[in-house]
Amino acid sequence: MFFNSIAFAIFLPIVFFLYWFVFNKNKSTQNALLIIASYYFYSCWDWRFLFLLVFSTFLDYYTGIQIEKGKSEKSRKFWFWLSILVNLGFLGIFKYYNFFAASFAELFTSAGFKASPILLNVILPVGISFYTFHGLSYVIDIYFKRIKAEYNFVDYSLFVSYFPLLVAGPIERATHLLPQVKVKREFNYHTAKEGIYQIIWGLVKKVVIADTCAPYANAIFDNYTSMNSFSLIVGAIYFAFQIYGDFSGYSDIALGVSKLFGLDLLRNFNYPYFSRDIAEFWRRWHISLSSWFRDYLYIPLGGSKGGLWMKIRNTFIIFVVSGFWHGANWTYIAWGFINAVYFLPLLLSNSNRNNMDTIQLKFNFDSVKIFASILYTFILTCIAWVFFRARTITDAISYLKRIVTSKDFSFQYLDNERYSYELLLMIGLFVLIEWNNRSKIEPLSGKMSTLKTAFAILAIIAFGTFSDYKEFIYFQF
Amino acid sequence: MNKFLIYTAKIILLTVLIAFLLDGIYTYVFMQSNKRGKIEQVFSSKAQKYDVVILGSSRANNHFVAQMFEDKGLKAFNYGMSGGHLFEASLMLKLMIERKYEIKNIILEADLNLANEQQAEGIAAKFLPYIHNSEIIKDHFSGEEDFQELFYIPFYRYIKYDNRIGFREVIFSSIGKKTNAQDNLGYFPLQKNKNGNMKNNIVNLNPLPHNKYYEEIKNLCQSHNINFIALMTPMCENVKGMDYFDKVKKAYPEIHNYENVVVEDKYFSSCGHMNDAGAKMFTARILKDFFTTK
Repeated sequence: MFFNSIAFAIFLPIVFFLYWFVFNKNKSTQNALLIIASYYFYSCWDWRFLFLLVFSTFLDYYTGIQIEKGKSEKSRKFWFWLSILVNLGFLGIFKYYNFFAASFAELFTSAGFKASPILLNVILPVGISFYTFHGLSYVIDIYFKRIKAEYNFVDYSLFVSYFPLLVAGPIERATHLLPQVKVKREFNYHTAKEGIYQIIWGLVKKVVIADTCAPYANAIFDNYTSMNSFSLIVGAIYFAFQIYGDFSGYSDIALGVSKLFGLDLLRNFNYPYFSRDIAEFWRRWHISLSSWFRDYLYIPLGGSKGGLWMKIRNTFIIFVVSGFWHGANWTYIAWGFINAVYFLPLLLSNSNRNNMDTIQLKFNFDSVKIFASILYTFILTCIAWVFFRARTITDAISYLKRIVTSKDFSFQYLDNERYSYELLLMIGLFVLIEWNNRSKIEPLSGKMSTLKTAFAILAIIAFGTFSDYKEFIYFQF
Repeated sequence: MNKFLIYTAKIILLTVLIAFLLDGIYTYVFMQSNKRGKIEQVFSSKAQKYDVVILGSSRANNHFVAQMFEDKGLKAFNYGMSGGHLFEASLMLKLMIERKYEIKNIILEADLNLANEQQAEGIAAKFLPYIHNSEIIKDHFSGEEDFQELFYIPFYRYIKYDNRIGFREVIFSSIGKKTNAQDNLGYFPLQKNKNGNMKNNIVNLNPLPHNKYYEEIKNLCQSHNINFIALMTPMCENVKGMDYFDKVKKAYPEIHNYENVVVEDKYFSSCGHMNDAGAKMFTARILKDFFTTK
C-alpha cells in the first residue's frame, strides 16, 4: 500500500475516523488501534514478513528490559550484544548475504580458485533497514543509560511499527517518539492542517517531480552509451530531482500523516539542494539517517576528536557504511566513498560547520559567491548520484567520461518518446518555489494558502505521472 | 475537530471541482484537434467516401501503401494503428459508420491480433476523451473492467492514461502540432533496419476461435454492404510456430493467407514488419488479386 495509492486514500480516513471518534478513550486504545493499522499496512506488502517485524520488536523490547535489569555488566553486555547481533544478523541475511557470497566467489575466481557461491532465494522485507535501526538505537541508548527501557509492549511496538515511518523512515529515536506515545493525544486543528499541507506538498514532490523525472532519467541512464553530453547532464539532474522528490516527498507525506494522529516525527529533509557545501548537504539530506550514523557510529568511533588519521578513518567509515546501508551493491559503496572524499577537505580545514545559518541573497558580490557555492555543491552531488543510479561502477565512470568526450549538446529524442530537455522548465519552477519557501517546512502554508493549495492539487492532477511509476525508491532499502 | 472536518471537506470539494474543470478543458481541446492521429481525424470528420479503407495493427499500418491504391484510381486511406488490436479496429469502423462514411471495401489485417480480444491500452486511450460525446465509444467500452471509473470519475481517464492523453498531449493538441500519423494517406513506411530482430517465436500464440471484434467488423461490413477482405500479412522466414497461420485459416476460412508472399529478410525491417520495398511488393500483389477488375 503506497502513500500515493487509492488503497491508502481509503485506509487513512478510516484509521483517522476510528482513532479520533472510536478509540480516543485513552492512550492505550489509541496506541492499540495504531498498532493494528500499522500491522495491516505492513502486511499489505507481504504478510509473511509481519512475523519478522513482530519478532524484531519483541527481541528489542525484551533485551532492552534485560539490559536495564541486568545486575552485572556481563549480563548487560550479553543482552546488548544478543540484540545487536540478531538485528544485524537479520539485516545481513536478507540484505547483504548474497552480495558478500557473490563478491567472495568473484574474488576467489579472480585468484584462480574455483568458487560457486550458495545464494539465498530471499526477498528483502520492506523497511527492514529502517525498523532495524529503530530497534538498534533503542537498545544502544538503554545500554549507555541514556534512556529507560519501555515496559509497555504496545507502546514500544508502536514506536517501532508506526505505519507512517515503518517502511521508509524517518528513523525515529526513542527519546523523541516514545514520550509522545506515552500520553493520550488530543486533536489540534492547526497541527492537523499543517499535516494536510505537508501531505499535499509531498504528493507534488512524488507524482509531479519524482515520477515525471523517472522515465526521462531511466531512458538516459539505461541508454547512456548512445546519449550525448547534454542528455547525460540533464539525465543526472533528472535523477537528482527524482530521488529528492521521491524520498523527501515520502517523508513529507509520512510527517503529514503522523500529524493527523497528533504525533510529531523527525524532520528528514531541509532543502538539501540549496546547500553551500557538502557538510551542509548532509545536515539537510536524510537527516534522520545522517544523525543516526553520527550518534551511533561516528561519535563512538572517536568522531573528530582524535588525530588526523582518526578523523580521516572515521569520515570514510561513516560515509561508506551509510552508502552500504542503502543496498548491497558496490555502486552505493562508491557513492558513500565519493561523499567522504568531498567531505574530507571541509573536515580537515575545520570548515565543515561554516554554513549553519539561513541563506540570504542580496544584490552584492557575496550573494554571487553563495549562488556559485550552491551550484558547485549541486554539481558535486549530481556526480555522486551518477554512481548511486548506475548499474555498475564501470557504467558510472563511462557515463561521466562520455559527458566530457561526447561534446554534443544537441537535444536528443529518447526511447520514452520524449525530448531530453522537456522537463527543465518544470524543474526550474519547482526550484523557484522551494527557494522562496526555504525557511518554511512546506510552501503551502502562510498567506493565500487556499490558492496555493488549489494550485498544488491542480499540479498533482494535471501534471502528475500516474501510469508509469508508483513505488518509492527508498522502499527497496 | 468539526473545523478540521469542514476544512477536509473543502479540500475534497476543491479537488473534485478542479477535476471537473480540467476534464472540461482537456475534452474541449481534444474535441477541437484533428492533426494528431487517425482516431481524432475520424472523430472530427464528416461523411467521407472511400473505395478502400485499411484497418488493423502496425502490420496493416506498415504494409499497405495507400498511395498505390490511389494510383489505381481507388480512394483509399490506411487506418491501421501501430500497437492496436481488433478492439480498436472495430471501434474505428463503428465511428466511420456513425459518421456516414461510404466505404466500398474494407481490408482488415487479421492474423496475430486474432489471438486476443483485449484492448491495446495505449491506442484505446485515444478514444477516451470522447467517451461523453459518443454513444458508440461509450458502448464499446461499457464491457471493460474499469468502465465505471473511466466514465463517471471526472478526469480519471486522463490520469490513468497520462502518457497518452495527459498534459503533454493536450499542449501539443492545443498548439496544433502535427504528427506523421496522417502522412502518406495513413501508411507509415519502415526502412531497412540493420539491427532489426529477424527472429520471432509465436509457438504459444493461438487464434481465438470466435474473436468478438473480428466478428463485429465482419458483421458491420455485411450489414452496411461493405466488401470485407480479411488478410494475413507476411512475416520473416525465421519464425517459430509458423503453423499459427494454418490455425487461423482453419478457424476463419474466409481470411486470405498472404503470409508467404514476401519472404526474404531484405524486405523486412523487423520480423513482423516489412520495410517500404516489401510493403510495395505486398500491396502490388493485393491490388492484383483483389482490385484488377475494378
